Amino acid sequence: MPQYQGVQPVFQRNYNKMLYPAVAAVGVFAIVPLMGMLALSFTDFHLIKGWGKGFGLDNFLRMAEDRRFIASIGVMLMLSVFGVIFQVALGTLIAVGLEKIVPRWRFMRGIYVVPFVVPAVAVALIWLSLFTPTLSPINAFFDVFGIEVPAFLTSQYGAIAAIVIADTWASYPFVMLLILAALQGISGDLDEAASIDGATKMQIFWRITLPLLKPALLMVALFRFIETLKHFPLIFVMTNGGPGRSTQATNYYAYIQTFQSSNVSYGAAIAVFLFLFAAIISFYVAKANARLTDA
Amino acid sequence: MKLAKSNRAVLGALLACSTAIPTSALAAELNVVLFAMPYTQGLDQLEADFAAKTGHTVNIDVVGQDVFESRITLSFTGKTGDLDVVHTPVIQVQRWIEAGWLRPITAEVDAMATKDDILAGPLDAYLVNGERWALPFFAETGMMAYRTDLLADAGYDKAPETWAEMLEAGAALKANDQAAIAMRVAPGQGFNMFVYPMIMRAYGGHFFKDYPTDLTPDMNTAEGQEALGIYSTLMNDFGPQGIGNFNFGEVAAAMQSGQVAMIVDGTSIIAQALDPEKSQFADQISIAAVPNGPKGRSPAIAVHGLGVPADAPNPEASFAFIEWATSEEVLTKIALMQAYPDFTRASVAKNPEVIAKYESIHPEFLNLKVQMLGDAIGHYRPLLPQWPQIGATVGENINAAVNGIMSIEDALATSDQDIADIMAN
Repeated sequence: MPQYQGVQPVFQRNYNKMLYPAVAAVGVFAIVPLMGMLALSFTDFHLIKGWGKGFGLDNFLRMAEDRRFIASIGVMLMLSVFGVIFQVALGTLIAVGLEKIVPRWRFMRGIYVVPFVVPAVAVALIWLSLFTPTLSPINAFFDVFGIEVPAFLTSQYGAIAAIVIADTWASYPFVMLLILAALQGISGDLDEAASIDGATKMQIFWRITLPLLKPALLMVALFRFIETLKHFPLIFVMTNGGPGRSTQATNYYAYIQTFQSSNVSYGAAIAVFLFLFAAIISFYVAKANARLTDA
Repeated sequence: MKLAKSNRAVLGALLACSTAIPTSALAAELNVVLFAMPYTQGLDQLEADFAAKTGHTVNIDVVGQDVFESRITLSFTGKTGDLDVVHTPVIQVQRWIEAGWLRPITAEVDAMATKDDILAGPLDAYLVNGERWALPFFAETGMMAYRTDLLADAGYDKAPETWAEMLEAGAALKANDQAAIAMRVAPGQGFNMFVYPMIMRAYGGHFFKDYPTDLTPDMNTAEGQEALGIYSTLMNDFGPQGIGNFNFGEVAAAMQSGQVAMIVDGTSIIAQALDPEKSQFADQISIAAVPNGPKGRSPAIAVHGLGVPADAPNPEASFAFIEWATSEEVLTKIALMQAYPDFTRASVAKNPEVIAKYESIHPEFLNLKVQMLGDAIGHYRPLLPQWPQIGATVGENINAAVNGIMSIEDALATSDQDIADIMAN
């Protein structure tokens, strides 16, 4: 017996047609530019000199020998890994706190979400002033007690930490919101049953809540990881890539190559690398997520 | 649908008239993009004056310098024709000419009745390959501002005259628990690479072996190392906390709020430090020449102008705007309403109101500025199409050395290698 009878197949056909605008939009705004970037990465286009004659893998081979590019991957990974760890930890902590530990504080959600709606450049300016000792109220406060707060933005790891802190502040609400949604999908009966069996709140969290949150945590970490690969405004405003080249992440390096050095094709090749990197990570995370969900 | 004979005749006559009217006589809408500095902020407030004078309307967009760079690059390379006039720093002009992004304005400039009023140095900075490419509105040079009271407490009755004396004064001020000096350290061809060459050249350091005949990179010399050592010591030992990320905004703020005793920067920043409306200690701040070194004095110099993009749709109206925006009338207005002592017309310097304003800030300001401009060399930052890239890259290495991420020798050796790579490509 066919699945649909009567008028239903007609609706089914119409639903398919309703997808066409979305498919067209994805094609025009995502696939075409991506193909353009891919094609550009195999060429030799210089902003000043114009098109070179070459068409091949030169830009990708150059990446393997480019010390600055390799160093930029290290910076990118530091920013991404530490950023995701802190964002997921803080977002989860607040979500669990609001949902499970002190539910009467749920009204605070709106306040916790505020940093998420602040534009990235404004976030960068806020934290730039907080990390500039001569402008910072934090430094001024500790100065009263004769305590000198170190200048984060002038040391290699300090500048990276500063960007991670600013990014964590701006992005933990995203994690918090997704984890809150996941928590609301977990039946309260499980907690109640465990509680009747004598489990403490911490045991319930570690043994029941956290394992059930794993798929959501994995997906939110993936979203944040991909987002952190695209770090730009915080670096641009807070450190300008410095001190030295300490905060030149790969995305920022692609910008330098494209706009400062005029090597458009090489910049495109770096962007292709970033795309593939994100795609591979997404593939493995999606696979892991499927395994967890099936389990 | 067919037009009646009489209508066709009217339409034909209108079309004939429209082709006979010169383009400049038609009201145009001009888009101008500039980056933020006192002159451009002042010009932004005078949009209506231009409309009243010419009948053209103008949209002046003043943005941050980095945003500006991205925006004009996209506009130029995309050949969008969306810009009629563009901020043209002299340091970029050779690169833009090589790329074919600017339209020459030689005939228009030569036909100007007031051309001789424009200061020759800044005007000729835009004379490349026999063509003129922009009209200057800004000629800034280096200068020092210092707190007379703090230096007096440290035993100085005048400003240090050499970079070596700056180190001594720094130590004396530090003994009084006072941050001595602030300069730009943030990496960038217009940031630390605007101020660092003042020390480098004073000690005999250079970018190339023999510019412009021998362009072999040569920063890693004994003189270059000594200069970078002094810059690094001044900033790290005698600068305020966090100096390693300071740009001109933080330098100005540090002087205005009394956090440092001395700054060495461009005249536009020095003027802000002296401005009683912006500076808490303006009455205790004096000015002095850029310090000397064993090879003399080398004040920084920066010239900015207005140019016409190659694909500007209405070049006559574009030039009309440039001529108006760099006229005596407009420069005088802005010199009076902003901290803008870097005007480029002799007549503005003779204007009694302008003289009175800058004498009230400091009696020697305009004279010292002229002296510093006289000491400055045109190729303070090499006039090469590759300079923006060289400046950005070397600026990163110099910043790394000051912040202790690289040794002085490594930073200069890396700079030589980076310059060689850029020149080879």
